[in-house]
Amino acid sequence: MTEYVIETEQLSKSYKDKAALRGLDLRVPTGSIFGFLGRNGAGKTTTIKTLMGLLHADSGSARVFGLPASDANSAVAIRRRIGFVTEDKELYPYMTVEEIIRFTRAFFPAWRDDLERRYVEMFDLPLKRRITELSKGMRSKLMLLLAICRGADLLILDEPTDGLDPAAIEDVLRELVSIAATNGTTMFFSSHQLSEVDLVADHIGIIDRGKMVATGSLDDIKARYQHLRVVLDDARQAPVRWGDGVESARQEGRVVTLLVSRNAEAIAAQAQELPGAVVERYPVTLKEIFLEHVRSN
Amino acid sequence: MLWYKGWLETRYRLLFCIGWATVFLALVHPAHTTPMPLGAKGSVFSVVMLSCPMVVLVGCAMLGGSGVVTQPTLQAAKGLHGSTLYTLSLPVSRVRLLAVRASVGWLEIIGLVSLLCVSLWVLAPALRTVATPLQVVKYAATIIACGSMLYGVSVLLATFLDDQWRTWGAMGIGVGLWWLCGYAKVPEATNIFRAMREGSPLMAHAMPWGAMGFSVAMGVALVIAAAKVVQAREY
Repeated sequence: MTEYVIETEQLSKSYKDKAALRGLDLRVPTGSIFGFLGRNGAGKTTTIKTLMGLLHADSGSARVFGLPASDANSAVAIRRRIGFVTEDKELYPYMTVEEIIRFTRAFFPAWRDDLERRYVEMFDLPLKRRITELSKGMRSKLMLLLAICRGADLLILDEPTDGLDPAAIEDVLRELVSIAATNGTTMFFSSHQLSEVDLVADHIGIIDRGKMVATGSLDDIKARYQHLRVVLDDARQAPVRWGDGVESARQEGRVVTLLVSRNAEAIAAQAQELPGAVVERYPVTLKEIFLEHVRSN
Repeated sequence: MLWYKGWLETRYRLLFCIGWATVFLALVHPAHTTPMPLGAKGSVFSVVMLSCPMVVLVGCAMLGGSGVVTQPTLQAAKGLHGSTLYTLSLPVSRVRLLAVRASVGWLEIIGLVSLLCVSLWVLAPALRTVATPLQVVKYAATIIACGSMLYGVSVLLATFLDDQWRTWGAMGIGVGLWWLCGYAKVPEATNIFRAMREGSPLMAHAMPWGAMGFSVAMGVALVIAAAKVVQAREY
């Protein structure tokens, strides 16, 4: 088994004169739940489409299961091991729920009948109903069923919880974690819901303007970032320049809040040296890390 | 299952084509033949010579498809349908998607033309007096072979046009070719509409092998070109 299920190196892709990916380096460890984050138009869907062999990269390489995604024959072998949930959750309008399940099952010998029965019941899917008659939430659930039951080694999920109510989101996230834990399935999912990613992902990648701006284990990234809250005796005591590693500094009266990405100890010591300063440390949320990266980029 | 998907995509279109063919069948029915100016035999021939090329032309425009872009069941739709991405996520090559979908449409056209010719034979006593069953079979084979070029055009257009534009585009090209074959000096071996009408086995009592071969070769070349487009295209 390769160390990384997905590996891209200097992946670039442009649409006419607009660059969507600019030398993207992405590594998704085998067995991980990888949250792929980025603003609208950052290049998330372009990356996913390139990995699925739907788009041809201008330069660089993309490998899935060690196979080149750009090669037509490899792409078929790759797709045999992938479950995919598309962003728009569109399925064939002329099929019923039962028909699309039967249709999809035929392509995947490792189809999980047990999971199919479980999700039909859990998601309350109306088997005889046409897909055009389903709400977006129901289509999302159906797509998740169709992706998960493939018995895939890798699930690529583009906004998987889009259109779901909070209770259904909870159910879906719990199922995804359970599948990853019991089957060792790798999950690569993009989402705008940072709270969801924070809840289930063990690795993240933040893409902005076609480049990876932060990637790694979520715990490592969170450990690296800290908030330092410095309460000063006098507001005028705040230094003009903080030490190396301060990503942002915000002052409100006597209170200075620092977002630190490295050298936290040295910066805390620098703050402590200020007369009468009290320094407190706070953990950083994923949202703060994300916003810091996309704003500074 | 790709065959099943192709069938679901085309079944109502096929029904529409059968309905279109029924209009011609109603015209050759004995109850309708007498008022025609050329008499029973002449009117039957004129209806047959008009109906078969028109049905194959409409059939090619309606039933062609590339198998990649999802087609609605009947009404032509504009825009890339989102479920195209679902199709492309299946472990199937694009060439196979195209081959299966093109085959489904082609088999339906063969069925449609066969049904039309058998129905003409059964419903038009006047046709039975002037043509043998073998001649009708040869005529059906001529129509199918000469229609393959029109079908190839429809399949090729399906690889890069919205379904709406593909349908009207294939129809427009077909009508244009028909006009060209009637009014321009097109060599007999490439005149597929002449081969389906006055050069057909029913009228000329000989198979138009040249035009049939030309049409089949063009149809194959167009489908190969469609496969190349599908492989190269981004979705």
